[in-house]
Amino acid sequence: MLKSIVKKGMIGVLVGVILVIVARLTHFPPMFQAMFFIYAILGAVVFILLDAPSMNRIEGGKAVVALVLFYVVLSGVYIAGASLWPQYDPEVEKGKIKKILKAKRAKTNLGKQEELIARAKALAERAKSITKQLNALGAGAQAASQGAPEVAFTMGAASGDLVALGKEQWDLQECYNCHKLFGIGGKKRGPKLDNIGNLMTPEELYEKILYPKRWMAEGFEKQYKKGKMPDKYRDLMEDSEVQALVAFLSTLRDTSVTTPKPIKMKLK
Amino acid sequence: MITLRRSLLVVVGMLVTGVTVAYAQVPDAPPAEIPYLGNRTGVWIVAQLHILFAAFILGAPIFAVVSEWLGYKNQDPRYDRLAKEITKVTVILYSMTALTGGLFIFVLLATYPDFTTWFIRHFFLIFAVIYPLLFIAETIILYTYFYSWDALKGEKKGRHIALGVLLNIVGTTTLFVIDGPTSFMNSPAKAAEMPLIEYIQTAGLWDKVANYSWMPMNLHRLVGNVTFGGFIAGLIAAYMYMGSKSDEERAYYDWMGFVGNLIGVGALLLLPFMGYLFAYELCDYDASICPYMMADQLSMFFEMQGAMVGLIFLGSNYYIWLSMKRIQGVEQVRISGLVMLTVILMPAVMGFAWWKFPVPDPISLIFLGLLIVLPPLLSKLPGLRFTVSSFTMIKVGFLMIVVADAIWLTPHAFIATGAMEGEELPSWASELALMPAKNAAAFTLVYLTIVNYILYNRAIKRGTIIWGKIDFASQFVLIFLAFSVIWTMGLMGAVRSLTRKYFHVYNLVYDFTPESFTPTLRESGVWITVITLIFYAVVSFAIIVTLRAGDSKAHVAEASPVPAGAK
Repeated sequence: MLKSIVKKGMIGVLVGVILVIVARLTHFPPMFQAMFFIYAILGAVVFILLDAPSMNRIEGGKAVVALVLFYVVLSGVYIAGASLWPQYDPEVEKGKIKKILKAKRAKTNLGKQEELIARAKALAERAKSITKQLNALGAGAQAASQGAPEVAFTMGAASGDLVALGKEQWDLQECYNCHKLFGIGGKKRGPKLDNIGNLMTPEELYEKILYPKRWMAEGFEKQYKKGKMPDKYRDLMEDSEVQALVAFLSTLRDTSVTTPKPIKMKLK
Repeated sequence: MITLRRSLLVVVGMLVTGVTVAYAQVPDAPPAEIPYLGNRTGVWIVAQLHILFAAFILGAPIFAVVSEWLGYKNQDPRYDRLAKEITKVTVILYSMTALTGGLFIFVLLATYPDFTTWFIRHFFLIFAVIYPLLFIAETIILYTYFYSWDALKGEKKGRHIALGVLLNIVGTTTLFVIDGPTSFMNSPAKAAEMPLIEYIQTAGLWDKVANYSWMPMNLHRLVGNVTFGGFIAGLIAAYMYMGSKSDEERAYYDWMGFVGNLIGVGALLLLPFMGYLFAYELCDYDASICPYMMADQLSMFFEMQGAMVGLIFLGSNYYIWLSMKRIQGVEQVRISGLVMLTVILMPAVMGFAWWKFPVPDPISLIFLGLLIVLPPLLSKLPGLRFTVSSFTMIKVGFLMIVVADAIWLTPHAFIATGAMEGEELPSWASELALMPAKNAAAFTLVYLTIVNYILYNRAIKRGTIIWGKIDFASQFVLIFLAFSVIWTMGLMGAVRSLTRKYFHVYNLVYDFTPESFTPTLRESGVWITVITLIFYAVVSFAIIVTLRAGDSKAHVAEASPVPAGAK
């Protein structure tokens, strides 16, 4: 029996090594090579189990102990299995979600409450600062002019670089999942947009984002019919966010990339 | 008298005023904070436990009624006993379903009060009227079904079976009804060219219920419940087999384990396709759900799912292998070598067919039909009549389970946090990551499982089964299968909830709490395991309390070998 186990184990390892070598020669990355090796070992384990001798009955306390151990092993294997896959860092997503929800949260009762509390705090700080200055004047000392205390709340996105804000929207709304841009992203669900600024006016881009069915990219009839471009952005994006995205898209004028011609659709 | 009435009126008026004033002065309590776990995890645990218990109490009666009917038709008391014992456990777990359901709503109200009240208002008729009425009806029918078992015997058996059918109709209706609000959270009904918020204010209850993912969820859960019921029946059988004191008991529970596994595996064969349909409809609703599931934060969850499916198929087929080993004369059972070749070639042939003629092109189905039908036909021709032993066929089948699962598990890339480029498949092998290859892998798993059952049927027709003499390891296989199925349900339950991203209702009601992010697969794996263990502990307790303490007098002698044809 032991001989059989060793023999099958050796075959499993040999097959695994061969698979890894072939995978390396054919340019599979290391993670895939590791998986191929694991499959070979799994195959060996299966064949060992198939030819394993029958297990004797266990009963009473021994059966209970065996069961508990079995559950412990299974639990450990599944938790370990879940842990060994590549993990996403939630902090990255949290940052994105915070940016997306900021404007939405500000509009809610809770958000308005928080804004009022923040303003009250800011005013209280200001009052403290003024009191301090007055006290200092009263003592004959020149109060150093202090800058206005930081306002705890923001007035919304800075009116600075609209195109940069639009690029941020591109990332936050994950447009790259369907549209390739600068060679990144996309899975042929949507057209490459590197030259869209030359093909659509800002008004047309605005319309396409909010009402996807009003425009179709040439050669994307199947995707258009299936409604692949989500129509949720009119519900989810603030007008300022859409304007920023449009501003960004309008700057995309790379004629070396083939962006399909947009076709205005007549809706029934 | 008049004075008394006036006095009472004054007192009541003062009380009401006082209470109103007092209430008006009481500030709103902030949402509760579940310590250590956090609100999201707390709701997760309670919700998942509720679904697990509910899946059992809905799936087990389907299994029980079919078993009772088979017992009646074939005059085999084993089926009737099986049905009764499953129902006994169901009755106990029914109270756990109700308990976790009540706990679920309380926890939701305490931790997410604004959303929960909004949600209840939108589905008031369901939560306050339809669902409670169905629940009451199911309670009455379930208890009547169980407690009338001995009274409705013999000629009255048909009435008892009819009661069981009614129980299942009510149960299935309950499932469909509660799936309405559930699926609404994932894919709220929408209208073209109208903002979602506006549409929801004017939509009727039916419009909200009959959303994109409602029916796919119904089908997936219905098939999933039957699968679940079958594997839990196997778990019950394993426990009882381990605790059996006599050969007759062991023979019966050996048989029960086989039947439970058969039902579980039978329904399992349909499950990947139901799940695919469900995911397809979600992606159809909003295309951005697809990359989130398959290419972004949830992609590794689906890798874990692929691994679990592979392990479950390995386990089920290993159980068949152990079942066959105890059949005397199984060595003589053979099968056409062309079937073996079909199993080996299926991933490549069907992968090519679906790549060249993608679904729903019917030409791909012609390929599939030919692959299934041709081997047994061609094997009758001279020169092609070569056969292989059943054990060789099963061993090749196991090899192909590993190969098929490897194909299922192969992603386009392993994308770690924040990176758009990870470890990607080389371009020449990119087809392995696409749906044609995955579908081909799924069909291979299904096909070879069916082939193994065909072999098993041939074996029992020609040989002699010795019930009660199965390899003891088979009981651990049954427990492994139940554990793995429960764990997979927990995993996919998490995935379904997470596809809502940072919404309570996708695209409609935002979740502004700090926990509205995708947890890591590692953290999810820990909580799924905790939930599975809690469920296991409760079910194990229910089995031991109801069945070990129960009357085990009216048993059929099963220890003696059963000759061919006696099933």
